Amino acid sequence: MKSINVIYALLIIVLAGSACKKDNPVDEDGLLITSRAECAVTNFELLGTDFVTVRTKAAAIDTTAQTIAVTVMFGTDLKNLYPQFTLSQDCKLDPKITGRTDFSDLANPRVYTVVSGNRQVRKPYKVLITVQPR
Amino acid sequence: MKQTSIYNYPMALLAILVVVMASCDKKDYALPTAKDKLQNDAIKRSLGPNIVNDTIEFVYAMGILPSKGKLVSAEVEASIEGAAGTFLEHRSYYTNTSGVDVGVQIGDPSVTVKEKTTVTFTRDTSAAALRYTYIVPEAARGKTVSFTFTARSSNGETATYKLGPYNVSKMDMKRLLTVVNGGNAYISIEDMAVYNDAGAAANANKIDLVYLYRTYTTSTFTHALVAPAADAQYLPDITLPAGVNRNTKIQRVFSLQDYDLAFSAVGVYIDDRDFQELDISNAPNFAINLKAEAGIWVETADKKYRAYVYVNSINNNAKSAVISMKRYAL
Repeated sequence: MKSINVIYALLIIVLAGSACKKDNPVDEDGLLITSRAECAVTNFELLGTDFVTVRTKAAAIDTTAQTIAVTVMFGTDLKNLYPQFTLSQDCKLDPKITGRTDFSDLANPRVYTVVSGNRQVRKPYKVLITVQPR
Repeated sequence: MKQTSIYNYPMALLAILVVVMASCDKKDYALPTAKDKLQNDAIKRSLGPNIVNDTIEFVYAMGILPSKGKLVSAEVEASIEGAAGTFLEHRSYYTNTSGVDVGVQIGDPSVTVKEKTTVTFTRDTSAAALRYTYIVPEAARGKTVSFTFTARSSNGETATYKLGPYNVSKMDMKRLLTVVNGGNAYISIEDMAVYNDAGAAANANKIDLVYLYRTYTTSTFTHALVAPAADAQYLPDITLPAGVNRNTKIQRVFSLQDYDLAFSAVGVYIDDRDFQELDISNAPNFAINLKAEAGIWVETADKKYRAYVYVNSINNNAKSAVISMKRYAL
């Protein structure tokens, strides 16, 4: 009877130990690092200061050329826009979007890098903005 | 071990039953005994910021046992004399079963002398709830105002109730101005007024916004509020009156339906603090494609005023819009 109790105790210790084992690493942002290597932008939105879209139609995302072409309405305040990215599963964006963003320098498009779930693949995407003519 | 059923204990069962019955015992309701002194109470009815020339509304209730006496007078004293139109109702209102407020006259119309507004009862009344409307005077701008309500009864008793202090906003408000493309199209934040070409020329240094309506097949321009100094592409086919050239900061907003400006039950108020914390230094000088219930934050070129201009309605056929504004002097 005593030996059975010892086995039970050992089993509990082993289980407790394995429960504490870290097999889900997180990155510097506290986000889960996974095994996924997919790395793409799947959707892109641009909102004005009134939080209404400024796009005239859906953005054209070229995953080969790594560009996002978007046409915005005439009269859009390009200095104060809120970009929104939809990414492949487990990806994250660099730099992070923290608020209003200035897209007014059309000659030098802003570049956002998509980082894969395993943090091994990085793909920079250029945001190419065209303003609709009056 | 031998199991013994609880049913073998009749005394215990009886005790439990008694306890349960006792806990369900209903105490008889008795009408509370009314206090035998003159009683009063007051509430503030209106919500939102207290704006000069607008109203602050209260209800003042008072009552005394009929056997002790009747009401003689009701009086409100404001810490700052109210503007013309301040009054205390001489009718006591109750709400009938249809939800309609019904007034019962209890005295003569109120008399206001400086800070005091008084109603003298002419009816044999022992209870009344009178509404008080205070028109916020210019003298109260940016200050606080308090109110002392006083009731007097025929037996010589007096009851008072104090409310406040309430902050009075620094901002101003102007509602329902009609702007028309090519007509009353020039808006002055300083004057809180709209002008036509001649008026704009006469007040050139005060014109902050130009209203225009345009339709194009290639873009959605429609209703727009644009600074006179904006790029010509935002003021197509417009020849500004001489001297109209201010460069106003403009930021478009949607779903900011201020209760005072929109007359809606949304319950959102723009207050002084919104203007104090507003930062539109990086904003453009035009806002096109405005729709009804949209609005714009504005900062005048001389940085003397910030404003929120709300679009109450638009009319594409008449090429016009109805706007309202709140303005804050910096």
